[in-house]
Amino acid sequence: MTSRVIEYLGPLISNIQRVSRYATLTAAGVSLYDYETDLFWSSNGDRQFHAASTIKLAVMLGAFKAVEEGIIDLSDQLHVRNRFLSAADKTPYHVENSRDGDTEVYQRIGRTMSIDELVELMIIRSSNLATNLLVDFLGAEYIQRVLQKAGAQNIYLKRGVEDHRAFNQGINNEVTANGLVQVLRAIYEPYFFSTASRDRMLEVLLKQNFNSMIPAALPSDVRVAHKTGEISTVSHDVGLVFVPNRKPYILAILTEFVPGKENHAQPLAGISLAVYEFLMRQTLER
Amino acid sequence: MTSLESTIIDGYGLSAEYRAVLKPGEPLVDFLGNTHYLPRYFYKVENWAQAKETMLSPHFTYSELVLVDCREDDLILKQLPHFLPCAASLLVRYLELLRERVGAPIHVAANGGYRSPAHKLSDKPGPHCWGTAVNIYRIGEVFLNSEEVISRYGAIAKSMAPEIYVKPFGHGPDETDDHLHLDIGYIHMVPRYLNEAVKPERGNA
Repeated sequence: MTSRVIEYLGPLISNIQRVSRYATLTAAGVSLYDYETDLFWSSNGDRQFHAASTIKLAVMLGAFKAVEEGIIDLSDQLHVRNRFLSAADKTPYHVENSRDGDTEVYQRIGRTMSIDELVELMIIRSSNLATNLLVDFLGAEYIQRVLQKAGAQNIYLKRGVEDHRAFNQGINNEVTANGLVQVLRAIYEPYFFSTASRDRMLEVLLKQNFNSMIPAALPSDVRVAHKTGEISTVSHDVGLVFVPNRKPYILAILTEFVPGKENHAQPLAGISLAVYEFLMRQTLER
Repeated sequence: MTSLESTIIDGYGLSAEYRAVLKPGEPLVDFLGNTHYLPRYFYKVENWAQAKETMLSPHFTYSELVLVDCREDDLILKQLPHFLPCAASLLVRYLELLRERVGAPIHVAANGGYRSPAHKLSDKPGPHCWGTAVNIYRIGEVFLNSEEVISRYGAIAKSMAPEIYVKPFGHGPDETDDHLHLDIGYIHMVPRYLNEAVKPERGNA
């Protein structure tokens, strides 16, 4: 890194390192793309993490591409059924209502819900059941192909969520901070989707119910279109951050903790604030 | 004629695009490798509101047996009218009997009633394509998703008549683990006032 770049990014890097040390993170991957300054920066941006629920962004990408390719309509109905085949051995498994961020989809078991409803609940309440219904219908291979076409590197969708037999065999969905930034670029920029699809995906992401990470410490007039992901030892958040009077930026923060560590959200909120303050200083200096 | 009888149509009289999907009277090889001839006579309703209002029996509506998802062919899914093989009205008599035996409402799953031969789940076709099978996902407040309840209600259903077939609990082919499959085999219902030797003019629907 040149001295000029270190001078430029130094405060941001040291702030992120300070937050990470204080929170005793075992790993942190951060990736940033700023439309205002055209800055692209990452720290451990290509390190693979367990995806947790951030993989649901990939599923949304797949669903909207399937709409644009005429495979489905957003209004199409899907049978709501809590029965999926494990990626490990093709034996059936189901997802637990008690471990899901959403209960609404469970109320519809046996009936149908639209693709649009399922996508929305998968994102805004992180519905595991909605996610698996969409993965089951679209196919993991199809979604993986969409990710490749979108230019999202190192995002691997190998199975539905809560597939414990696959987990025990090490078959997991994986993401990188840089890859997730690329997913959001594919949603925000006009190169991959129609305006209608991009508008609807952003609308859904802006309705996110879980806001304790990237948006938590930001001013109230900042809007964040984002998706979180949490399991026992990882906490992630990736979002498009809309600040008044400037172009947005995309931020992906992926973190790993030692088991048993509490308050996972706080360091992500701290890193998000450090990035925000850094970018606002750059904006003022410009 | 009852109002339901007045909706009966001869599948041979359907337009070419509908015959291509419903295949009235055509042979179909089932999941066991046996050949059967698909139903020729259907109840036809013009829209979903009518499907919800049309009672096949005191407790079962037409709509419950034709609720499908996007795995069904677009012509059936997205265009009107709706079609249901006439033998479905016989099936619902058994469902009424089961409802009486268990003392609770019977809930048929989406994709769990009639499925056209073009439905993606008809890749291994069975009596669903004849309107003579149902997948029951819930009885009263009980979801049928365990061996205990599927076996218990399956035994009640089987005890009602020898022609009733119930898939056993299990995870393999021809077994179920999240619903009760009940069917009465491959049945054709021919309204007594229709002449099977007569093939009607092709229609628009």
